[in-house]
Amino acid sequence: MTQFFQQLINGLSIGSVYALMAVGYSLVYSIMNFSNFAHGGVIMFGAYFGFFFLTFLKFPFPLAFISAAICSAILALIIERVAYKPLRERRAPFLYFIISAMGASIFMENLVIAIPAIGPTFRTYPEIFNKQPIKIGELAMGKLDIAMFLISAICLIILIYIIDHTKIGKAIQATSYNLKASALMGVNTDFILITVFLMGGFLAGIAGVLFGMKYTVYPQIGIITNKSFIAAVFGGLGSLPGAVIGSVLLGIIETFTAGYLSSQYRDLIAFVLLITVLVVRPMGLMGKVTEDKA
Amino acid sequence: MGILELQGLTKTFGGLTAVGDVNFNVEKDSITGLIGPNGAGKTTIFNLITGVYKVTSGKIIFDGKDITNKEPYLIAESGITRTFQNIRLFKKLTVYENVLTACHYNANYSLLDSVLRSPKFRKQEKKLNEQAAELIEIMGLEDRKDLIANNLPYGLQRRLEIARALALMPKLLLLDEPAAGMNPDETEQLMKLISEIRKKFNLTILIIEHHMDLVMGICENIMVLNFGCKLAEGTPTEVQNDKSVIEAYLGVEV
Amino acid sequence: MGNEYILGILTLAGINLMTVLGLSLLTGFTGLFSFGHAGFMAIGGYATALMTVNFHWPFIPALLVGGLAAALVSAALGKVTLNLKGDYFCIATLGFGEAIRLILDNVQTFGGARGWPGIPHYTSFLNVLGVNIVAIIVLANLIHSRHGRNMIAVREEELASQIVGIDVFKYKMTSLIISAAYAGIAGGLMGHYMTFLQPKMFSLAKSTELTIIVIFGGLGSISGSVLGALVLTSLPEILRAFSSWRLVFYGLAVIFIMISRPEGLMGGYELTPSSMKKLFRNIASKRKNTLQRAGGDK
Repeated sequence: MTQFFQQLINGLSIGSVYALMAVGYSLVYSIMNFSNFAHGGVIMFGAYFGFFFLTFLKFPFPLAFISAAICSAILALIIERVAYKPLRERRAPFLYFIISAMGASIFMENLVIAIPAIGPTFRTYPEIFNKQPIKIGELAMGKLDIAMFLISAICLIILIYIIDHTKIGKAIQATSYNLKASALMGVNTDFILITVFLMGGFLAGIAGVLFGMKYTVYPQIGIITNKSFIAAVFGGLGSLPGAVIGSVLLGIIETFTAGYLSSQYRDLIAFVLLITVLVVRPMGLMGKVTEDKA
Repeated sequence: MGILELQGLTKTFGGLTAVGDVNFNVEKDSITGLIGPNGAGKTTIFNLITGVYKVTSGKIIFDGKDITNKEPYLIAESGITRTFQNIRLFKKLTVYENVLTACHYNANYSLLDSVLRSPKFRKQEKKLNEQAAELIEIMGLEDRKDLIANNLPYGLQRRLEIARALALMPKLLLLDEPAAGMNPDETEQLMKLISEIRKKFNLTILIIEHHMDLVMGICENIMVLNFGCKLAEGTPTEVQNDKSVIEAYLGVEV
Repeated sequence: MGNEYILGILTLAGINLMTVLGLSLLTGFTGLFSFGHAGFMAIGGYATALMTVNFHWPFIPALLVGGLAAALVSAALGKVTLNLKGDYFCIATLGFGEAIRLILDNVQTFGGARGWPGIPHYTSFLNVLGVNIVAIIVLANLIHSRHGRNMIAVREEELASQIVGIDVFKYKMTSLIISAAYAGIAGGLMGHYMTFLQPKMFSLAKSTELTIIVIFGGLGSISGSVLGALVLTSLPEILRAFSSWRLVFYGLAVIFIMISRPEGLMGGYELTPSSMKKLFRNIASKRKNTLQRAGGDK
């Protein structure tokens, strides 16, 4: 029984980080209707930024954390301006965005490998939370895992608050329903997009740092985003609560699969889940059903 | 017994009833009009007939056969084609290619035939090309046949869309606002064209229109739709004098 | 340097081209994007190797088995995913490609992640050339028929093509199956060129690279795909000296192409004798017009 709870907690912890990443995806998807494959690159840079601030500039942890997030946000915005905005202006079909995103992703991943100072070597974060687990009864919870969960939860709560209860949040919701109509209603859609990419990038940076702390830092971290992307589809592309729920569930399913079946199948189960979702209920748990208007 | 029968046709989107319990017959060889204020459900009915939308309840009978909820391409094969409100030509293809593509099912050679360039392929391709050329000539598009569809003037784009629809040799042609954006001159020409093709191609034609001169000019029977339900039905004169129709369009007398 | 090296590059380009031709049919002419075609290459590669290594079949029949295996799997995938809206089909192919790679990674019969070495070196420049020539002829004949026109119609206006009596699902399925068969054969050629197979040869990066080649060459152009495959396979090889930076520029180049010339090299036109004639005639008549105008303005 304790193993069950142990796995559950691990699943929640990794799921909450997936949620941070998935939310960034869903935000962009809800407004622009395309899957931002460059998101992974931002997460990876987030991990490197954090590492840099901590190890080279010797920032205290909270400062390094926030700085990494801010840098990631700016990076996300730069990508939007360079790789997507020109396409938006020509009303290119969404598939061109995907290719451009792939290009950006390839660029980022290889930039890190090519720059001699960084290179492909794995980097480890200095230990912030010591390895002593907190014990409640027979359950042992790593301090890092708890921190990951709490930080993610706080960020998500703040995000959902912004979306639901602030003016800008309402504008984002409106734009996600209909980009053109919102523009006609006086919403500065360009500003909204800037905001959304900054927010997504900020969260991606946080996720990257957390990931780097838990595992190691290497250029291919971006691949992890496939998971968060699957989670976003699972929860319903375009739905924020869906992204969160999908991510947590995915984290739990993965951990249980690794725990009870074999760690080999952990990655595979995510893709099996993806195909199942697409076949059974493509709009995901909480996505909207739409019929094409003729 | 008309060539097209709508029986209790209903379509709801969530809580909205786009089409509510519509019963209507379209007489064979007639030119019938479907009018009503914007949002009345006219295009939705077209979408239901052609299988683009699935019916919530009710039946659609065409030429004696139940075609409710069939796949769009099967409905096209059974003899119903249409044009769209916002012209959906194969915009990057030429006029000729648009029509030639539509001629496709007058041939039945297989993939293998095309790869091997078999005699069957050659013979049928020749026939398709002849059909396309003939149709383009009849529709008066001969001199523009190599122009990209997107570069045609608006009126000719509509004509091309009709030509493309006729390539399937349909029995029933649905025209969705064919006169949209046309000036009185062009509308005249369109009216002539519609009467001509009805005769030449042995068609029944059902038209959605807002241009009242066209509707009243060529339609023999008209159905008026409002808020998804049938408001009135009859000849142009009957419909013009119907109180509820006048109310719907002009409002109640104060 | 010299002949060996160049032939090697051309052979690799030819192997890529085989998949690209299939993808051209699916993406360029039918309008469906796939990020999982490396998965079909993998299936074909491993199936072909199975026939040659375990059953000692001759090369060409083994290749056909590889293509067939990929085609069958694609039919199953298509049945389940082709009804999904554009986006989602894309995502499904991505999931599929990755799933295949992961399965191959974990199933030890074919060597798992470490791979399958010792595959006979049957692929040569000549048979790659031969296969490609046949493939191009088949593709061109297919395109210039009512079937090809129907696929183009599906790409242009799916709704209108249904109205015109085209069975959209059937045609999407057909182009998917053919593209998978081509990819499968390419995978077989690849395995018997490298003499080994490894799941990581068939990654998402590979699938993306293939789609990028199709776009680079220009959607809806067979000659574009040929040129694209040649250029984008040989260029990185030639630039190997700048090893780590070449991919960086590759990424930038992709973004740049999408922003400035998404219609690719050929812009949808074909390089054929008749189109060249037309091009020259156009240039000639344009010159005549400018000369006339210049004269008339006096």
